[in-house]
Amino acid sequence: MTSDPGRFDDSPLLVAGGPPSNSLGGGRRHSKLQGRRAVAVSVASSVVLLGVLAALFFFAPGSAQVRQTFFNIPDARTAFLGDPRGGIFSELDALLINIELFLTAEVLILILAMVIALIRQLTGPVTFPLRMIAIAYTDFFRGVPLLLVVYAIGFGVPALNLAGVSTQPVWVYGLAALVLSYSAYVSEVYRAGIDSVHPSQVAAARSLGLSHGQAMRSVVIPQAVRRVIPPLLNDFISLQKDTALVAVLGIIEVNRAAGIVSSTDFNYTGYTVGAFLFLLLTVPMARFTDWLIARDRRRRQAGVAH
Amino acid sequence: MKRELLASSVAAVLVAAAAATASVSIQSTTVLAKAISGCAPSQLHLYRAGQLTVATDAPAYTPWFEKNQPRNGKGYEGAVAYAVAKALGFKQSQVHWTIESFDSSYAPGPKTFDFDINEITITAARAKAVTFSEGYYNDRQALITYKGSPLVTAHSPSQLKTYKYGDQVGTTSLAYIEQQIQPTQTPAVYNNPNDAVSALSDRTIQGFVTDAPTAQYMASSGEVKHGVVVGQFPSNDQAYGLLFHKGNPLVSCVNRAITQLKNNGTLTRLQKKWLGIYTSIPTIQP
Repeated sequence: MTSDPGRFDDSPLLVAGGPPSNSLGGGRRHSKLQGRRAVAVSVASSVVLLGVLAALFFFAPGSAQVRQTFFNIPDARTAFLGDPRGGIFSELDALLINIELFLTAEVLILILAMVIALIRQLTGPVTFPLRMIAIAYTDFFRGVPLLLVVYAIGFGVPALNLAGVSTQPVWVYGLAALVLSYSAYVSEVYRAGIDSVHPSQVAAARSLGLSHGQAMRSVVIPQAVRRVIPPLLNDFISLQKDTALVAVLGIIEVNRAAGIVSSTDFNYTGYTVGAFLFLLLTVPMARFTDWLIARDRRRRQAGVAH
Repeated sequence: MKRELLASSVAAVLVAAAAATASVSIQSTTVLAKAISGCAPSQLHLYRAGQLTVATDAPAYTPWFEKNQPRNGKGYEGAVAYAVAKALGFKQSQVHWTIESFDSSYAPGPKTFDFDINEITITAARAKAVTFSEGYYNDRQALITYKGSPLVTAHSPSQLKTYKYGDQVGTTSLAYIEQQIQPTQTPAVYNNPNDAVSALSDRTIQGFVTDAPTAQYMASSGEVKHGVVVGQFPSNDQAYGLLFHKGNPLVSCVNRAITQLKNNGTLTRLQKKWLGIYTSIPTIQP
């Protein structure tokens, strides 16, 4: 079976793609002109669109009030740096809590989600209850709004009054909620990756004498993980924002710091600053994800087995 | 049907209240009877013509309201709202209640109420976004903890700094913790007072600051498990005001009504009636 190389041709990773479609033949001058024209058109259309949006914003009847309420420079400064005398917390300091939560959660999620995904790949009647638990887990945590999970753990676990468990710092409960919820999603991403590896690869590995575990570890998982990196990063962009939900437990992260500014002074500029800070986190991640996807596509087209 | 019953019971309460006012002094009834000139319901700029639309948050907390039903006219703020309405010449049935959360009450754009009555402290910064009426209650902050907490006995100004506090987001009580108590640990900040109460009951936090009547009610009603009011802080000249859309001209007539209620003793009487048992608390220093 393994002697027939044709069987491997189905694997997208081993298929040599065609040459890149950009033809660099004659007509270079023509395409250069076309390129200039395209740039001019895209600049013009962008300017028109932005102009219309700006006009809508500045000439709306409530524009002055909205600018005062959402884009107030002195308030933005206070929100950014904090004002202990005025009872305002710095959103920049608060952002550190979001980053810490996100980084810690990410590591735990990658591990827990892989365990769940692997459990779901198990075969054989003995492991049936485990598979059922894994399925119930993903169904439950994907189905329940994260905010409710945060509330239930953050207020429910301390109320249980269990020695050692109920007396943790609040951020631990917030972290637990994020990990539980996101692991359910990420395990499905892993599973999709694992399923996308053609069965012939496992068959080939097994015929070489590898056990099921070894085949998973050395053949399937490495390919699966590489393929799902973009969707994984997509989930993590979402996770970065959702760290804001732990605010309901009393933790002063960006969103909560913004809420304090806004209801202390009845001005929403703090939220605008918060949105800006979240963009600082998520946009680089989004660009990185796009870059990874583009690189992956280039390599496939160039027929590089990676 | 239920609404009619409610309306009639409200009317009954108000008749009783009016009777009580009348028995207090003849002078006050004559003042009450005299309508404020230029402020009759037909002359007012109202959200809905012919009715006074009053907003508060849900749930409406005791002792500011009773049984989470602003319409029953009970509790201090419920009673004040109806007293203001009456002073302007509105009938009971012309007062309509609507729900407005604290967070959205100060959003720019048109409001869906004439005024909001929701234990909102007047501050200069807030007055840039909304218009406040004259104050109708001078609030004082009080500190609540649980039985067995060190806070019960150890609460000198320097000891107060060592505890873990919690409060509702953006309240003047939270600002009071930061500005006056200045604790060494970052306070926990919750969406609403209920979450702070849960945290205090679970001992996630040790102290919760809120206005004195609310604190006393939370402790005595068992809302905070084994709650104890440590004391109230000295007055810092802050008052609760009615919240209006920025620049709403209605505020001038409402202010005249509040001044009238202050001068004829109605506000003091309502405070004694609804808040009296909640405000006899020892004073402590921040």
